[in-house]
Amino acid sequence: MTDFVPKTHPIRQWADTFPWVALVSAIEQSFDTRFPKKSLRGRRPVPLRVLFALELLKHELGASDEDICHRLRTDFAVMYACGLREYQVNPAQAHFVLPETLCEFRGRLDAALMDELLAIQAAAAMDEGLVSPSHLVIDTFPSEQGSQRVTDATTLYKAQKKRSRSSTTSRSRATAGPPNSKTKPKA
Amino acid sequence: MRGFGRRCRGQGRVFVTLVRQTAQQLLALGEPIKTLGFKAQEHLEHTVTLGEAQRQRLTLALTTAMSHHAHIRQQSTRLTHGKKLRHCKLVNAYDPTIAPILKGKSHCPAQFGRKPGIASEPATGFIFATLVPTGNPSEPSYVLPLLDKVQRAIERSQTGPQRQIHSVAGDLGLNDAVVRQALHARGILTVGIPKTVEPIKTNPSAQDVFDILTEAGLHRKRTPYQVHLACASGYSRPVVESHIASVLARGAGHVRYKGLEGAVLQQGMIVLAHNGAVMVRIRQQQWSKRAQKFRRLLGLKLPKVNEINSPKN
Repeated sequence: MTDFVPKTHPIRQWADTFPWVALVSAIEQSFDTRFPKKSLRGRRPVPLRVLFALELLKHELGASDEDICHRLRTDFAVMYACGLREYQVNPAQAHFVLPETLCEFRGRLDAALMDELLAIQAAAAMDEGLVSPSHLVIDTFPSEQGSQRVTDATTLYKAQKKRSRSSTTSRSRATAGPPNSKTKPKA
Repeated sequence: MRGFGRRCRGQGRVFVTLVRQTAQQLLALGEPIKTLGFKAQEHLEHTVTLGEAQRQRLTLALTTAMSHHAHIRQQSTRLTHGKKLRHCKLVNAYDPTIAPILKGKSHCPAQFGRKPGIASEPATGFIFATLVPTGNPSEPSYVLPLLDKVQRAIERSQTGPQRQIHSVAGDLGLNDAVVRQALHARGILTVGIPKTVEPIKTNPSAQDVFDILTEAGLHRKRTPYQVHLACASGYSRPVVESHIASVLARGAGHVRYKGLEGAVLQQGMIVLAHNGAVMVRIRQQQWSKRAQKFRRLLGLKLPKVNEINSPKN
């Protein structure tokens, strides 16, 4: 994979900045404590490195779960960012990730783990001597909560409006009578 | 139907009757859940085949689900009975962690949602910590939790000299006597937090530096050079806006995951992705003039560039 993705590729450069080993081991440790494995049977899980990189890439590229999972199958740069160094033809292997799997992985992450991951990244950047926490700027910004419940009144109102509109159209069609015989029949 | 705010600012309509009808249907549908939940709990206690750890996990999950259901049911009953909710206290009946952002334009619909806070480096925009609180508390309450997170990151750092936070900058919203006192007790300068609308002096005189150190009580802890740096890195709106714009460009302005936990997760992931992009910029030495000067003053080293120039022809 490293031969296919040039060193100047933005995703490769971006992916090379992360301390992946430390980040993934922190996630593994947290998951092992909170969700202990009951059995060793069954299919091998998708590597955490792949899932975590996909989640980050999703925000970096502004893609949806489905989009990023599709790109993982075809885009070498995305595969590189996910730590896959060899292309596997068999789709049943590690680089085949379903959006549902990504969603389950996300459900296991919690606030404490996120703080730890950010601290690991900051510590790695400080160790490299690239950033310094000596002088900080603190600010806030507004963020809209966009999750919409199924029972939302607006959604229900729109659905009812759509239904009434469609029933009105069908009724008007019915009252208009059979189509004109002069019109050309569709093939 | 009720409308909030001026029409010219957008329509904030709530279909009260429709909400009540829907809530009534859902309440009727979910009536047996409580009884079934209790029965499930009883069965769980008497099951012999489960291990202790698994039983505890399932009991915890069931209790959480039951408490969530009880909360939603309580709010739905309030809606059905037409009981008024407290003004400016609750935005979403089913998610009490959302609250209106209190400061807004007069006679306009209040902004509501989350108000994440960030602690970033002014030179490059690297974000050291992020905080998504429950509701929308006052801005000074963000400062100490954010600094605690930065301190934890500093403690994780293994190489180089022991790092310290020298100064904190912010807007007029952070101007709070208690916060200033707490920061001074930690040995942190607060020159960057303005007290009035007047801009902060970027080049303070020797007398100004002496006054700043005396006011903070940090004569032995902070040097005049550090005060000069703190003044230079003092709050600048365009700098902070550029950091926020970068985060917003990655979708931080719209929380797509559910609840407070979802918001925390999304903001965290966005900040990690943003920091990756910042690191790329640092390694490629793509800095503004201000950032170049600031890095030089801080003594931050240049990243090693081991690239061999490829032949042009």
